[in-house]
Amino acid sequence: MSNRSGVVKAIIAKDFRLFTRDRFFLWVSIVGLVFYVALFWLLPDTVDETLKIGVTGFGSEANLGEISESDQGLELVPYEDEDALRAAVEEGDEVIVGLALPTDISDAVITVYIGSGVPESVSGAVEGIATELAYAAAGVPSPVSGTTGSEVIVLGEDRAGNQVSLQDSFKPLLAFFVLMIESMALATLVAAEVQAKTVKAISVTPATISDFLTAKTVFGTLLAFSQAVILMIAIRSLGAGPVILLTAVLLGSVLVTGFGLLAGSIGKDYVGVIFWSMAFLIPMMIPALAFLFPGSTAGWVQAMPSYGLARVMVDVSNYGAGWAEVAPYLGLLALWTLASLFAGWRVLDRKVQTL
Amino acid sequence: MRTILGRDVRMGPRSPFVLYALVIPILLTVLVQGIFGDLFAPEPRLDIVDEGNSSVTSQALALEGFTVTEIDDLDTMLARVEGNDADAGLYLPGGFDEEVIDGDQPELQFYVGGESLASNRIILAVTTLELIRGIEGSESPVDVLVVQLGEAGPDVSRRVLPILLMMAVAIAAGFLPAASIVQEREDRTLSALLVSPASMSDVLGAKAGFGVILALATGFMTLALNDAIAGQWWAHLFVLTVAGVMMAEVGLLLGTWAKDSNTLFAAWKGGAILLIFPAFFFLFPELPQWIAKLGPTYYFLEPAFAIANDGAGLEDVLGRLLIGVAICLALIPAVVVAGRHLERTNATG
Repeated sequence: MSNRSGVVKAIIAKDFRLFTRDRFFLWVSIVGLVFYVALFWLLPDTVDETLKIGVTGFGSEANLGEISESDQGLELVPYEDEDALRAAVEEGDEVIVGLALPTDISDAVITVYIGSGVPESVSGAVEGIATELAYAAAGVPSPVSGTTGSEVIVLGEDRAGNQVSLQDSFKPLLAFFVLMIESMALATLVAAEVQAKTVKAISVTPATISDFLTAKTVFGTLLAFSQAVILMIAIRSLGAGPVILLTAVLLGSVLVTGFGLLAGSIGKDYVGVIFWSMAFLIPMMIPALAFLFPGSTAGWVQAMPSYGLARVMVDVSNYGAGWAEVAPYLGLLALWTLASLFAGWRVLDRKVQTL
Repeated sequence: MRTILGRDVRMGPRSPFVLYALVIPILLTVLVQGIFGDLFAPEPRLDIVDEGNSSVTSQALALEGFTVTEIDDLDTMLARVEGNDADAGLYLPGGFDEEVIDGDQPELQFYVGGESLASNRIILAVTTLELIRGIEGSESPVDVLVVQLGEAGPDVSRRVLPILLMMAVAIAAGFLPAASIVQEREDRTLSALLVSPASMSDVLGAKAGFGVILALATGFMTLALNDAIAGQWWAHLFVLTVAGVMMAEVGLLLGTWAKDSNTLFAAWKGGAILLIFPAFFFLFPELPQWIAKLGPTYYFLEPAFAIANDGAGLEDVLGRLLIGVAICLALIPAVVVAGRHLERTNATG
């Protein structure tokens, strides 16, 4: 047993030396990581869910204060006069819409200033707010009972003011980018060994094909896992549920290693390896992309091998889920990992036998 | 040179990279427009269950800037709102309109999702109330005068265009010639070519030519897919030619330098950001724009954006485009030196 592990260690050490000897590749891997980290920190880390409306006239602060207090998500910014309001909306830095209210609201015109690039839904809503103000001032009752304001029925956990930012939403995708690239590196390494038939030369040494496959799996997993962990530390993803996240990333690393072995075995040359790697791995980005959008994911997305990884990362880092909540997804990921590893081993083994 | 170019064009469709170059603009357009179009400016989403053929539903379905979906039953709607498939849900029981018209003030059954943005909740609530006011038929006590200030700037989905264009041109004119040169070296067909009457400049010229032709095709395809072919088509052609030539020169430098495919791929993976970064400044106009001007690709991306987005003519963008042309000219000596170096190293093995 120790003899076998020694052989495997020797092959891993050889692969690692090859990897580090190529200083340029090493440097570029670091640059790639730095880029993903920089991209992460450039993304917005907060969600601006406040509709800011500039207001003037009609004692606006006093009269509109009740609305802004009762409606989370609405902020009224008072201006001295209509000219100042108009200028502010034109500038677009502080407010992009404005309400110029007359002194006597019941007998006049309300001017709504709409800045450039304001969505129709927002401009329509601001017009609606203006009208409702007038109705309220004129004492016209609401056409319906119940409320659409602060006492509205909220379904699910109310995350108003505590939304998942774009930065947090990108975490699974960035982790998957790293895993994907390192899987391609492994595929290239395997293909080079197959092309150069060095893998066949192994058969005249104490090492067996099984040692070779084990070594490649361990090396590929270590390569992907170590970079993914560095990324996760750099983007502060390990704060919530670090053990669960590390488990998921480890499984994800083995998953992409399996696909890397497959691509390295099938690709006849470097171009072929890249082609097959991308053919396998790009569709697997879909679950991570799907979590960028609000709403539940489609059934076919949930059936993808990488869904479990993306789901666990989202649930743990964004919603603080624990082992019990993510167990089904970790199980699913583990099953896909076994399947991809089995397929990778089998195809590479057959490839080696035919050399 | 024509013979080598002809061979590359004939063999091109068999190469996965040519396939990438052609497929990636389509994939990226679908993907990036999908992501950036919806992520940065999500439309408020309203589900409606209408038990009594209310006019609120038809009016809501006709609203611009909203995603309104009619749902068959209340339970499904509640599940969708809770699952964040909709920001809010409106239940309209039978006879709702009649009760509003009669002034009976029916109870409004309006639900919001916990994960919906607070601003979207307000927008949907106020809009719903306005639609109900519409069926009530009461006259507003005031006139609302809407003043649109300034022209609407490009929306996010349009600001993504330079990124898409950059990817299309860089892969076709930059990466493809580089990969082709490296592959010729690895397959030793480059040595075979050089013992024929073809010179190194013929080989590099043919590779660059193929890249530029493909970049023109993928560039126009990207513009067309994004509905961005506006104004003078020849202006687009000029800009894409400058883009193709600049990227082809970068590709030749990379291809002559990289010792094998692995190095090329690694260099592309790490270095592509230096080419692409100016494109991100169009997406985030609030960033200091002078940084984008440090990137050579800015000098074809900005003209392309101005033509596609503002309908600018060639005369409007000529100044910046000429800087791009100057960069192309400045790269020629570097390509010549790189070609000679390749010739020497190839001869000595």
